[in-house]
Amino acid sequence: MRLPVAAVALMVILGSFGGAFGIRFVIDREECFSHKVEYGNTVHFSFVVIKSEGSWHYSEDGVDLVVKGPNDEQVHDIRDKTSDKHEFVAYHQGIYRFCFTNKSPYHETIDFDVHAGHFLYHDEHAKDEHFKPLFEHIGKLEEALYNIQFEQHWLEAQTDRQAIVNERMSRGAIHKALFESAALVLASGLQVYILRRLFERKLGASRV
Amino acid sequence: MKLGEARWLWTLLIVAAAVPAARGLWLDLPSTGSKCISEELHNNAVVLADYYAFIGEDYDVNATQTPTITVKVTSPYGNEIHHSEKVAHGQFAFTATEAGNYLACFSLDGDQGGKKVTVGIDWKTGIAAKDWETVARKEKIEGLELELKKLEEAVETIHNNLYHLVNREAEMREVSESTNARVAWYSLMALTICIVTSILQVLYLRRYFRKKKLI
Repeated sequence: MRLPVAAVALMVILGSFGGAFGIRFVIDREECFSHKVEYGNTVHFSFVVIKSEGSWHYSEDGVDLVVKGPNDEQVHDIRDKTSDKHEFVAYHQGIYRFCFTNKSPYHETIDFDVHAGHFLYHDEHAKDEHFKPLFEHIGKLEEALYNIQFEQHWLEAQTDRQAIVNERMSRGAIHKALFESAALVLASGLQVYILRRLFERKLGASRV
Repeated sequence: MKLGEARWLWTLLIVAAAVPAARGLWLDLPSTGSKCISEELHNNAVVLADYYAFIGEDYDVNATQTPTITVKVTSPYGNEIHHSEKVAHGQFAFTATEAGNYLACFSLDGDQGGKKVTVGIDWKTGIAAKDWETVARKEKIEGLELELKKLEEAVETIHNNLYHLVNREAEMREVSESTNARVAWYSLMALTICIVTSILQVLYLRRYFRKKKLI
């Protein structure tokens, strides 16, 4: 039986079932996720802060993300960012933890995506000249396509964030103009009232 | 033909890959309250999800102690798509009839003895949720051809996503343009109101002082 072919085929086919997990969640203070990663995988992860609950927030609405490996070693440390994308190679097999920390007092909606490429190369197993290049290329193509999908998800999340910012800005412009006009009218009314009172008092005092 | 001989191998591999490994993202469940995750879905998107709850750091298939959780999946308009209580693992699948935000909430059933409960969610949408075995059987393709067909579908998905992004960008551009026009018009309006109010003020005060014989 063609065992070398089987070994290469195994690598390729298992590569096709590596998935991407894009989810959205609302963060209060802290939120942690875990993901089991095999040795040698390239892990791509990205996050975008979609929106913040406070309507008139003027402070930076970034979050912190700390990525820890299975032996509690720090893989990545990202501070105060609203959107970021990174990748790393898993040199230890096991459970990797992604912990988000929210420093602002408002709830924030975060879109988080993790994609682990399961593709492994085992050159010593495949000796068949015909299959190895073909499978290798198909595997690479698959990996490239998954990467494109991962980047698209990140882009979509950023577009969502921008859409929300735009709508808020539009509503904010109207509110600001109306508020301003009302304030001006009130201010001039107050001015007239104060002047009248002033002169009435003066006139009343002088004519007594 | 070499590819034809390897047919048993391909089926074996496809079956092997279908056996659930500890895939998916793992969430820490708090002892009280629920944890919710959501995803924005287009119309007619197919979703296949697998969830499993376990105690401790790693998922052990032969664990004797399994916690029980409550799962609730709701559509953007509030309709309940899936609801199960007191389960340790399960699946749900649906086709999105409404475009929007779909929410899946997990909560612990009562107090599980204070231990740390983790929920693993394997959430597949689009081509990953497609039943490839049926497609292979129906179109009588196998092995390499099936893999290439999957890649073709992946490329199609990417193309659709790009198209969707282009539409979103066009919408956003319109909102920006309208905001720009609004800012201009409303500023002009506020300025006009300011000038009109001050003129009225001056006229009123002049009339008042004339009445009081001060001018």
